[in-house]
Amino acid sequence: MAALLRGLRAGRALRGLGSVVAAPTTTNPQCGGLRRGFHRAALRLQDESKSDKPPSSSSTTYHEHYQAHSTEQDTATASEEASRPNTSYQDQSGEQGEEYETEEQLQARILTAALEFVPLHGWSMEAIAAGAETLGLSSASTGMFYNGAGDLVLHFIAQCNSQLTEIMAEQHKQVQLGQAEPKKTADFLRDAVETRLRMYIPYIETWPQAMSILLLPHNIPDSLKHLSTLVDDIWYYAGDRSTDMNWYTKRAALTGIYNTTELVMVQDSSPDFQDTWNFLDNRIQDVVNMATTAKQVQSTGEAVVQGLMGAAVTLKNLTGMNQRR
Amino acid sequence: MAAPMRQLVRSVIRLSHRNVNVTAAGVSGRSGCCWGTPSCRCFSDDRSTHFGFETVPEEEKAKRVYKVFENVAQKYDVMNDAMSLGIHRLWKDTLLHVMHPQPGARLLDVAGGTGDIAFRFLEYVRSQQERQKRRATRSMQTPSWQDISNNYSTEDEEGPQESRAVVCDINKEMLKVGKQKADSMGISSGLSWVVGDAEELPFDDDQFDIYTIAFGIRNVTHIDQALQEALRVLKPGGRFMCLEFSKVTNPLLARLYDAYSFQMIPVLGEVIAGDWKSYQYLVESIRKFPDQEEFKHMIEDAGFYCVQYLNFTGGVVALHSGFKL
Repeated sequence: MAALLRGLRAGRALRGLGSVVAAPTTTNPQCGGLRRGFHRAALRLQDESKSDKPPSSSSTTYHEHYQAHSTEQDTATASEEASRPNTSYQDQSGEQGEEYETEEQLQARILTAALEFVPLHGWSMEAIAAGAETLGLSSASTGMFYNGAGDLVLHFIAQCNSQLTEIMAEQHKQVQLGQAEPKKTADFLRDAVETRLRMYIPYIETWPQAMSILLLPHNIPDSLKHLSTLVDDIWYYAGDRSTDMNWYTKRAALTGIYNTTELVMVQDSSPDFQDTWNFLDNRIQDVVNMATTAKQVQSTGEAVVQGLMGAAVTLKNLTGMNQRR
Repeated sequence: MAAPMRQLVRSVIRLSHRNVNVTAAGVSGRSGCCWGTPSCRCFSDDRSTHFGFETVPEEEKAKRVYKVFENVAQKYDVMNDAMSLGIHRLWKDTLLHVMHPQPGARLLDVAGGTGDIAFRFLEYVRSQQERQKRRATRSMQTPSWQDISNNYSTEDEEGPQESRAVVCDINKEMLKVGKQKADSMGISSGLSWVVGDAEELPFDDDQFDIYTIAFGIRNVTHIDQALQEALRVLKPGGRFMCLEFSKVTNPLLARLYDAYSFQMIPVLGEVIAGDWKSYQYLVESIRKFPDQEEFKHMIEDAGFYCVQYLNFTGGVVALHSGFKL
């Protein structure tokens, strides 16, 4: 199972380190455009004989396609099909297809634009509406986000996770090229968690609201998924290749560290969150100590057991029970 | 007194027999007729459409629909309550909740007649604004002199943020009833009443944030033209919402619903509004309207994105929503 996850992770890393949306599109099944892409492409095949009006290559936004409105009823729908932005099915017009964006990409753009209004409006539909308006869309487009504020928070988390993965991959590459020294595990974990938590600093005032949104029952599966991929990524780049129980214990430990540090950060008022980083240091030290202590306990235990066995054998010898009569 | 009652009973029996025969024919003919109608116009000379279960020339349909609503305008709201047992209020309230309009949104309510949706919209937006204002004042309990003076100067900025609703209907009688309702409710600002045809709206492009049509689109002769007009007058990012009677999915409920529609509703129409024929047309036009999936495809063909529908009351009513992106 660990191997499978690692394979998936490698695939993901290769596919899109730069992509903003790392979460799969299960949050917006209604807007999946693949089926419609086929439908539209089929219609376009029919219509290429009727009207060879090429899709306007200058339009990267959706509202410019409407200039194709003609008076005839059936060709109007046909020509509009031809000039409408394509979805992920892009075989027909390769170069022109790449300028159009899918609905998911548009939603991602709206949510990214909405992030700058979060300090003002909090994690809410008002922030999304303000974000949509900066992109030139009406505030009614917030209706696309059926999960409302949850969509915004999950999008932000996915964005932070992918940024962290980029940073770690870059560092990894540096180490591979020999341009940097590999860090010790404890230091690596500490730096990774600190980098990740620092991404919350611009939103730290409203972060408690975001955390409470993530704890809503319908958001828990998604937020747990993001958390587990985050922890998994950090351990992977820290060099963990374990295939036994350690895999679970390591990730559980890091999850605990991350969550508790996040809670400390939310109510930290020291300059540059120094208290939080001290807390993080201590927790990681605890885990490291725990690991060494566990090993010591195990070896001590073995030694004790052996000692007891030896004592028992000696006792038996003394009382003469070992001799065969 | 007995004679008219007997006549009424006899006409009930006669009409119900006719319904039983026509229903079977109507249902089987519906699927052919519906898609036939747009292509009929191009490929044959006789352009006919359905008026309930009758087939009439297209020009006549608009006139006959006009007469129907002219007759029922005075008793429209009472009949709505009687026929749906008041549930239509819940449907309209749910429409508003799904819409979740942001402050400053502009609504176009087509076939809005007596103004139910527009009134609810204004109330919703006003209560949202109140809540925001209350939240704002609670968070600044002790304003500084700077804040107070700023508030004085920005008080008339409420103007641009004001939400406006435009009620558009082809029928002057319905608008008259709506205006009377508005006067009696004391709502005057932010509301306009416009006479217009859904297939040819008297508005410029890119005007409205939200376009709604509640229980009106099945009376339109050319539904796809109405959808295209909706696309035209919406701003980019704007939302199209259509509340309409649709196909009941549950077979048991379907049978009860059919029995109720064809036996009870025309009788109620005769008793309360004195107009059997209009309410016969109403229930027949419901059967002629495309089902949820078909209508969803029609909306997508017109150029809307992220189209989805919600069923209310087991499919008796469906809310379709799409975005102009």
